[in-house]
Amino acid sequence: MADDSQRNFRSVYYEKVGFRGVEEKKSLEILLKDDRLDIEKLCTFSQRFPLPSMYRILVWKVLLGIIPPHHESHALVMKYRKEQYWDIHHALRVIRFINDSTPQVDVFLRIHQLESGKLPRNVAFPLEPEDEVFLAIAKAMEEMVEDPIECYWLVSCFVNQLNSKHKDSLQQLPKMLEQYLNIEDNRLLMHLKTCAAMSKLPYDLWFKKCFAGCLPESSLQRVWDKVISGSCKILVFVAVEILLTFKMKIIALNSAEKITQFLENIPQDNTDAIVSKAVDLWRTHCGTPAHSV
Amino acid sequence: MAQQGNVGELLSMLDSPVLGVLEDITTAFKDNLICDRGPMLVNNLVDYYLETNSQQALHILSTLQEPHDKHLLDKINDYMGKAATRLPTLSLLGHVIRRQPSWKHKLSQAPLLLSLLKCLKTDTDVVVLTTGVLVLITMLPMIPQSGKQYLHDFFGIFGRLSAWCLQNPGHVAEIYLVHLHASVYSLFHRLYGMYPCNFVSFLRSHYSMKENLETFEEVVKPMMEHVRIHPELVTGSKDHELDPRRWKRLETHDVVIECAKISLDPAEASYEDGYYSVSRKLCTSIKHHQTDPSASSYIDTQSSYGTSTPYSTPRLTLSQMPGQLPQILSPQSMRLSTEPQQVTIWSPSAVCGMTTPPTSPGVVPSESSQSAPQPYSKAFGTSAGGKGTPLGTPATSPPPPCTSDDFVHVSLPSAAATPPKKEDKPDSVRPLLYRQQNVTNSDKSLDIPSSKSSVTLSDLPEFLGGLSFEDSAEKDREEDAISKEISEITTDAEHMVPRGGFDSPFYRTNESLSGSQKKTHSAASSVQGHSQTSEPLTSLDKSGPEGARETPKQTFTPIDKPCGGPGESPAGNREGTSGEPSILTPSPCKVPAQRRVVFGSGQPPLYEHLFEVALPKTAYLFVGKKTEELLKKAKGTQDEDCMSSTSPVEVLDRLIQQGADAHTKELNKLSLPSKSADWTHFGGSPPSDEIHTLRNQLLLLHNQLLYERFKRQQHALRNRRLLRKVIKATALEEHNAAMKDQLKLQEKEIQALKLSLQKEQARYHQFQEEHDNIVAQLHSQIRQLQHDREEFYNQSQELQTKLEDCRNMITDLRLELKKANNKVCHTELLLSQVSQKLSNSESVQQQMEFLNRQLLVLGEVNELYLEQLQHKHTDTTKEVEMLHAAYRKELEKAKLCVQQQSQRLDASQKRIAELESQLAKKDHLFLEQKKYLEDVKIQARGQLQAVESRYKAQKKITQAFELEILDLFGRLEKSSLLKKLEDDKTEAAEAAEERLDCGNEDTAGHSEEAMGRNGETKPPSTRGSSSSKGGSSSELSTPEKPQNQRLSSRWETSVLLEPSTTVPLTVGSLPSSKSFLGMKARELFRNKSESQCDEEGVTINRLADALKTELCKDPSMESKVPPSPENLSPKLQESSVGQLHIMDYNETHHDHS
Repeated sequence: MADDSQRNFRSVYYEKVGFRGVEEKKSLEILLKDDRLDIEKLCTFSQRFPLPSMYRILVWKVLLGIIPPHHESHALVMKYRKEQYWDIHHALRVIRFINDSTPQVDVFLRIHQLESGKLPRNVAFPLEPEDEVFLAIAKAMEEMVEDPIECYWLVSCFVNQLNSKHKDSLQQLPKMLEQYLNIEDNRLLMHLKTCAAMSKLPYDLWFKKCFAGCLPESSLQRVWDKVISGSCKILVFVAVEILLTFKMKIIALNSAEKITQFLENIPQDNTDAIVSKAVDLWRTHCGTPAHSV
Repeated sequence: MAQQGNVGELLSMLDSPVLGVLEDITTAFKDNLICDRGPMLVNNLVDYYLETNSQQALHILSTLQEPHDKHLLDKINDYMGKAATRLPTLSLLGHVIRRQPSWKHKLSQAPLLLSLLKCLKTDTDVVVLTTGVLVLITMLPMIPQSGKQYLHDFFGIFGRLSAWCLQNPGHVAEIYLVHLHASVYSLFHRLYGMYPCNFVSFLRSHYSMKENLETFEEVVKPMMEHVRIHPELVTGSKDHELDPRRWKRLETHDVVIECAKISLDPAEASYEDGYYSVSRKLCTSIKHHQTDPSASSYIDTQSSYGTSTPYSTPRLTLSQMPGQLPQILSPQSMRLSTEPQQVTIWSPSAVCGMTTPPTSPGVVPSESSQSAPQPYSKAFGTSAGGKGTPLGTPATSPPPPCTSDDFVHVSLPSAAATPPKKEDKPDSVRPLLYRQQNVTNSDKSLDIPSSKSSVTLSDLPEFLGGLSFEDSAEKDREEDAISKEISEITTDAEHMVPRGGFDSPFYRTNESLSGSQKKTHSAASSVQGHSQTSEPLTSLDKSGPEGARETPKQTFTPIDKPCGGPGESPAGNREGTSGEPSILTPSPCKVPAQRRVVFGSGQPPLYEHLFEVALPKTAYLFVGKKTEELLKKAKGTQDEDCMSSTSPVEVLDRLIQQGADAHTKELNKLSLPSKSADWTHFGGSPPSDEIHTLRNQLLLLHNQLLYERFKRQQHALRNRRLLRKVIKATALEEHNAAMKDQLKLQEKEIQALKLSLQKEQARYHQFQEEHDNIVAQLHSQIRQLQHDREEFYNQSQELQTKLEDCRNMITDLRLELKKANNKVCHTELLLSQVSQKLSNSESVQQQMEFLNRQLLVLGEVNELYLEQLQHKHTDTTKEVEMLHAAYRKELEKAKLCVQQQSQRLDASQKRIAELESQLAKKDHLFLEQKKYLEDVKIQARGQLQAVESRYKAQKKITQAFELEILDLFGRLEKSSLLKKLEDDKTEAAEAAEERLDCGNEDTAGHSEEAMGRNGETKPPSTRGSSSSKGGSSSELSTPEKPQNQRLSSRWETSVLLEPSTTVPLTVGSLPSSKSFLGMKARELFRNKSESQCDEEGVTINRLADALKTELCKDPSMESKVPPSPENLSPKLQESSVGQLHIMDYNETHHDHS
């Protein structure tokens, strides 16, 4: 590949020695330089390396199909997206679902509802559980992305992807959690089972909301990198890692309710480490994705 | 008290003369002692003993058993403190100790020992001191290790008493000092024997002081001359000799013997170890001489008995053979010789102390017989003449006087000549030792004794030790007249000379007295000589004691013997003799009588002393005492009666004691005669005023005697042990002898076997030789035969080689034959071939000839043709040239043509390549284009997707809008319907007017109006239906009115808010066709226009409802909605019943909501 010549020849050795991500930014730039972006490669890259924050949104947008792989059409497509957003926004205003004081997240929700045709007849209509999920994700995404239009699209596409692409696998995740927890720490699993807490773990928070609201955004976006790039198994490992990290506290707790309560409000301090460990765990159990470059 | 009284009675009865009572009393005492543990009885006994000196009490006390020892010792200790009772207490203690009670080890812890030591250190009474020292000496070997803590006390006592001996601070009688000196001497021996290192170091320290130097020189140094160097001084140390381990193994008698061993003094020494010193020997010899005088008398009697005894004869015969004599006398020879002989020879000397009569006869004759040769030998030795051979002497012995005279005469010169000989003596003695064993020639044996005897006489002063000292002291004691100085000084030269002189005259006196007497006397002297001769034969050690022993016995017996009647006679004899020798002896008769007296007085201790010395000697004798005694008894002499009851020692003891008791009495039966005789005889002037002194003296003597007896007991103990060893040794020797015999037998056997072996060997050799011969013969035969065989072998070999040669020749010949045959065949073949070839060559020649002919013919033909050809050649060349040219042109043309073709081909090929490349380019381009197209397509698709999504969103928006609108419509209609229900139909006209009026005023109003109008049209139908149904529905709908109104008002506001976006809805005018709503509206209006007015409202109402439901159901159904009203409308038209139904539903729905 012509791109290889531009890369640092040491990159191979960096990886061997264990300096991961030294050349990631550069290689990502190389990937992004391609006209007609190679989505497959981007997927692999995103799975293998943490994305640099400056390119994260772009990569996400590409991976979620918000913008097409061609650079030329980016502007145009974004324009359309914007118009579409504003159209719906306007429409919602017209039908008085939203007004100026409506929070951005609700706006996103209404737009999404409208777009998916699930707009309730009335504003006061009670929220569906999936709407709650959307709201949580949107809240998290709002923190990460500045532009509301981009944010909406990302949220919308992310939710759509979860609902379409990962729908089946998401249902399998609790079982996998048990399986991997058994491998990692049998005792903890036994404790949870004896407390009958396995069934009451916050699966919705973890797997449907993808830890939105559970982890801080800085950590969360690293998890979402993997989810967006197509691997929802990472969610299981994050969950396992959370359990392992707070093992002592969990073992100290006896009732399922307390455990669930604790897990829904875990301390936010060293989540980065949890995520890093989870990624490692994921790698060890699921193997490194094939090197595409 | 009763008991005490009882005890008193018993005590009084203790000395009862009746034997039965005596025994009863003693047993009673013993029983009492066993029963009673209290001190009373013992105390009483002690008191009683001290009062009465009772023998029975003493006996009981001395056999006291363990629990009473303490009381006894305490009691003795008490009495020891008092000066008055000290002496008897000491003697009691001595008695007790000598018994060696089982509790003797307690003595060392007892306070008695301390008080005894104190007494010895402080007391000034010589008698007490002497007694105490003797007790101490007796006690020492019993407590060797426990006594060591008092070691310095012992030494101190020794130092004090030795000094006492010299200085005599108490100024007591010299006689006591003599006793004291003797006991100190014994103490010296004991201490030196037991603790040599300590004692020597004490001596060193004590006598290094100047004030003690004199004591040392005078007293201690002479004592030291009589001891050997103690081995412990070399090997031991001060601590070692005090080590309890050293003493643990030793019993009391062992200690005593140990002490005796290191003594050189014959009186003290033990000869166990076989070492011997000249001095000792000399001393003994001197003693013999000294004893001789007293012995003489005794010997006389003895001889008289002895001659009569049958035993004496063999002895005589034996002794008369001087050659045999030494052998017989020597212990070795005796051991080997038969028992009877031994007995006869030795029983007298051994048991002389016990049974004098039988012994003396044995000894006397033999000695007398010996005496004969001795003088001769002496005479020869001195005169160097070889007059009489020893063999001859026995014959001459019967007439002794002359010989004895001769001897005496000779002896004097010999005595004179002794000094020079004396020097040789030590040397001569040694050789003797070697010679003695095998001495057969009497000359030597006789020579030597004589020289010795002379030496002893002369050397007496020099060699005299303690004993001589003692003797001298005794003599001094006897002689009151003689001053101390003399008594002390007499010890040496002065004293000796007279003694020697005394001796020699004594001989003569004896000899002169009578034949028998002389004989005996000479025997006595010869005893010495004989003993000396026996010495060489046996061992030097024994000879001395032997002689010593013999003499004392001889002397001793008289004491017993004379008691009968001849008691006086010896004295008389002696007196007589004493008188005679004085005449006869020329030189030493200075103090003849006195000396003799001295001797006599000194005799008793001497006897004892010698007797004691003799005792160990008996141990060395081979024959046990008992056998001897038995023998003696067998002899049956008169004395046996006396002897058998008590031992002579005891008798002596008793005698002396009784003598002391009856001192003042007249001469009585037993002991008195001798004693009194002694004094009266010797002293001449017995000091009658000093009875006390004498008594003490006697006491001392008794003590001494007891001490010596104790020593004897120890020796006896030891003797028994040694005897056992001797028996064992003899058993072993016999065993050895038996073994030797066996060995000899076996050697003999071996020799016999050797002889037979030699014979066999000789035979074997013979056979061997024969065999060799045969073998040699056979060998030679074999050799010959072999030689023959070899010859034959050679011959056959030769023949074989020949045969071989012949065979070879035959084969060669055959080969040659074959070759020849082959050749023949070959030649035949060749021949046939050659013949064939020949025929062939012949045919070939023929052909060749034929061909040659043909060739010739052809050559000719060829020539002919050549000729013809030369003729025709000119015509054909032109034509050929032409043809050539033509061909060439044609060829060129063709070439050109080919060139052109090839060029064309090249060009076309190039063209093709070009085209192909173009094609490829085109293809590539095409692909690129395709790619691009694809790209673009994708791009477009992406855009399209975006657009589509946008479109969809728009659709959703519109749907939402529509929904909203329809909702609003629905509400509006309802509200208007309610209004209409309220208003009458009359108002319909007004409403129509209103609608017409304000139709263009406001779109909303218009619409409202339209709606209202529609409602107007509609109500009848609905009402109709409702009326048909019932009025209840109308009533029910009325409550909805406010709601509808509110809805309508809201709708109005929404319309007002967005006037621009919404298309103005004019009555009659169709909504814009571009929007779905417009289409719907148009359709609706069309329907309305088409259909009747009544139906319009119903359809609209229905449509709105349908729309609502459809929207709620599925957005995908939206597309189908538009046609549905069209489809529905005909349906509705067809059947109003269904519409009504719907309406009903609607109403019911409203009711429900």
